[in-house]
Amino acid sequence: MARDLAFLFPELLLGATAMLMIVAEMARAARLVLAIGLAGLALATLLTLPMLSAETTVFGGTYRIDLIAGWAKLILLPGTGVALMMARAELAGRPREGSVYALITLVTLGALMLSGGGDMMLLVLGVVLTGLGSFALVAFPRDDAATEAAMKYLVFGAVTGSVMIYGLSFWFGGAGSTLFSELGQLEGNTVVAMAGLIAVIVGLGYKAALVPFHFWAPDAYDGAPVSIAAYLSVITKAAAFFAFAQVLRDLPPSTGWPLVLALISAATMTYGYLTALVQTNMVRLIAYSSVAQSGYFLMGVVALGVSPLAVPGIILFAAAYVAMNLGAFAIVMVAGRNLDDMTGFGRTRPWMGVAMVIFLLSLTGIPPLFGFVGKVYLFTAAFEAGFLWLVVIGILNSVLALGVYLRIVVPMYRAPEAAPVAALPQSVLLTGVLILTGLVTLVMSALAGIFPA
Amino acid sequence: MPLLTLATFLPILGGLALMALPDRSARMAHGISIGVTGVTFLITLAIWSRGIVAGDFAQVEEVAWIPAIGAAYRLGLDGLSLPLVLLTSLLFLLSAIYSARIGERAASYVVLMLMLETASLGTFMALDGLLFYVFFEVSLVGMYFMIAGWGYEERQRAALMFFLYTLLGSLPLLLAIIGLYLGSGTFDMRAWIDAPPLTGLAAMLALIAMFITFAVKIPVFPVHTWLPAAHVQAPTAGSVILAGVMLKFGTYGLVRFALQMTPEAFAQAGQVILAFGVVAALYGAFAALAQSDLKKMIAYTSVNHMGYVVIGVAVAALSLDPGIRTIALDGATLQMVSHGLVTGALFFLVGMLQDRAHSREMSDFGGLLGRVPWLGWAFILSAFASLGLPGLAHFPAEFQIFLATLNAAPWAIVAILAIVVTAGLYLRAIAAVFLGPANEKWADMPDLDRREKLAVVPLLILTILVGVAPGWLIGMIHTTMAALSF
Repeated sequence: MARDLAFLFPELLLGATAMLMIVAEMARAARLVLAIGLAGLALATLLTLPMLSAETTVFGGTYRIDLIAGWAKLILLPGTGVALMMARAELAGRPREGSVYALITLVTLGALMLSGGGDMMLLVLGVVLTGLGSFALVAFPRDDAATEAAMKYLVFGAVTGSVMIYGLSFWFGGAGSTLFSELGQLEGNTVVAMAGLIAVIVGLGYKAALVPFHFWAPDAYDGAPVSIAAYLSVITKAAAFFAFAQVLRDLPPSTGWPLVLALISAATMTYGYLTALVQTNMVRLIAYSSVAQSGYFLMGVVALGVSPLAVPGIILFAAAYVAMNLGAFAIVMVAGRNLDDMTGFGRTRPWMGVAMVIFLLSLTGIPPLFGFVGKVYLFTAAFEAGFLWLVVIGILNSVLALGVYLRIVVPMYRAPEAAPVAALPQSVLLTGVLILTGLVTLVMSALAGIFPA
Repeated sequence: MPLLTLATFLPILGGLALMALPDRSARMAHGISIGVTGVTFLITLAIWSRGIVAGDFAQVEEVAWIPAIGAAYRLGLDGLSLPLVLLTSLLFLLSAIYSARIGERAASYVVLMLMLETASLGTFMALDGLLFYVFFEVSLVGMYFMIAGWGYEERQRAALMFFLYTLLGSLPLLLAIIGLYLGSGTFDMRAWIDAPPLTGLAAMLALIAMFITFAVKIPVFPVHTWLPAAHVQAPTAGSVILAGVMLKFGTYGLVRFALQMTPEAFAQAGQVILAFGVVAALYGAFAALAQSDLKKMIAYTSVNHMGYVVIGVAVAALSLDPGIRTIALDGATLQMVSHGLVTGALFFLVGMLQDRAHSREMSDFGGLLGRVPWLGWAFILSAFASLGLPGLAHFPAEFQIFLATLNAAPWAIVAILAIVVTAGLYLRAIAAVFLGPANEKWADMPDLDRREKLAVVPLLILTILVGVAPGWLIGMIHTTMAALSF
């Protein structure tokens, strides 16, 4: 018992941090809430380091302490810290801003459960915990747009969540256990395996914004504060893919799930970029581009169990994606929500312009940026798993991606039409966020050797 | 001393230093630009003096990068890459000198140029598949911003077309590189060359993927359409680098990747690739003949000249006689260098003409030789070199290519017709611009100043030197090509 709890130290610490934050929020001490949150996240990250190479389970196999769970913490915890800083930069001085920080921390706790869960009950718990917090976060501005967005998000989440629970009951019946590690029992029992698989795809696909479960994403992101959109687009999404990896690596491939996911992957990236191509609202544009990025994530999921690069690919791409997408959203916070706000941005703010170009090129997958290394891993994994056609589609979509992102870059270096109005005043926090995410995007590909393989 | 790494990264470090400086005036920027490219040129000379070895890569520098997948930072040289490295560092130095007049956002311009130099040198020296791809693609980004930021009227469209087209073109190479990796478990290009990891259908598919990439880059008909648009809109130094250095990525890759890593498939597809080369050579010449815009005309002659390189490489793959193979590859590699020197000079000269007249239309000029003798004679010399006159740079290269072609694939000799067409179009251009009745409009056109002479004269000297006494250059190339086994 003590051993099991010791392995869960980062999660326990994060839970305690969230509670403390809520207490501090009762005292309406927003800065204190933020400080507790950042300190807790930093400490939890440090505590993860010693157990990074562990490969075990706790509490009867229900919670996994393995490569995926370890690296998930190392990516999601600092990512959450960055998101907290962005939220502070955007929401400072608003009433109840402290509850936003506390909710973000709670949602991240759910994300960690998704990434480490080895049991169907934990999967459900993770989905619910991330979901409940997220609905409230989206509704935070309390205006019509935010309320509508949160309602859509909630209804979508409730339906997909119930479908997932219903489907998981098939797996439970077939395998006789809620543990994922027992899913091998479903070998040969295709109908039951498929019923559960569809349910998991619906439940996690909704979290990950896969086509056709993505409809909530652009609305929710657009209704929410930009920093919340940034947070939801990276942390809960990455966690959903970690959960995919945890579930599917135990499911026998003979059930045909790789092909199903490959088709969804192709549809997701193509649809995401095609739709992004016609957006004029920056938040929606990046929302659809994040949908497309989910398709790339899935290329790694498809290769699970076949290619040794599948899990490292998902981890590496998640790290890259968290950094570059947060960075791109941070720029949107400064520039404004409309594509027109970007006109001349690169000229009036040269450093931020360079940072935005780096984020966008990295999202496209142009070397030597971090996103490129992630995509190479994912392409290689899918190639090795025999999905050459999917790699070709991924490659063609990279060109489409360039078209999408150049729609932002090109006006950035035009002469500005009017004196630019910054949506947000320059702040130390935001500069810190940009330096951090920019550096990770720029130099991590040179240090990619530190990632597992 | 890791001279290769130093030469590769000195330019970008210079660019970063410039970005960090408080004084980013045009003067300061161009000073740094000329200084850094100058030192880089000297370093490449030192690399040259260290020499290469037959049958292997010389001066290899290796540092672990992603050990788990066998990717490492690996640089090295042989007789194919060393001449191109020297050409690259020279052209960037001359471009820096020429560009010293650019005042508009000079610091950004210089940073991009220096980034391009790092990418170009890295592309030629990389011995790791993944690293090669990184450098190869970074050059696209640099050139995109160069055209979009400092080009002429239609630059946005041309830049966008260039970026999308060449990105689409280069992604198949990534597919081939992944395939080679999965076949061998490493990204080490030396291992891929020593023991080609793919065979049969897989090798043929990899070859097709690589050929698509390099054909777009070279460019070969029918995927050349980005080239005239990009060239016409690019700033002068951009055109020089694009034609002089970046087109060589394609032909270099054709030899280094396609020929050396999938040799059997290349020999099987030899006739098809040869046909692409012949069509490109002929099409380039005839398309150039139809142009009235000087820059477009030179851009199309690039298609023609690079077509000869493709012919040379294909002939080498088809021939069974090692002597003929060596001649073909010697000629093809020399042709890459000659084209860099001659076309570099031609683009500089047309740029100088445009700086003065703001026009590139042949019919706008006339009788300029008496007005601007330096510019005129320099253009005439380069044009003669470009049309393959004996005693100038292209002759020894094209002679060897055609000699080998006659031996191994006689039908392809029809490409020699293109030389006649090129001769005609250059003579017509010289007559229209520099001879005939003087156009009064240009009565006070100034001749080349010191900066412009400094940019062009070294290229003219080398054009003559390579034409008259190519031994030193062919010797370097021959060391590697004679030892090549594929």
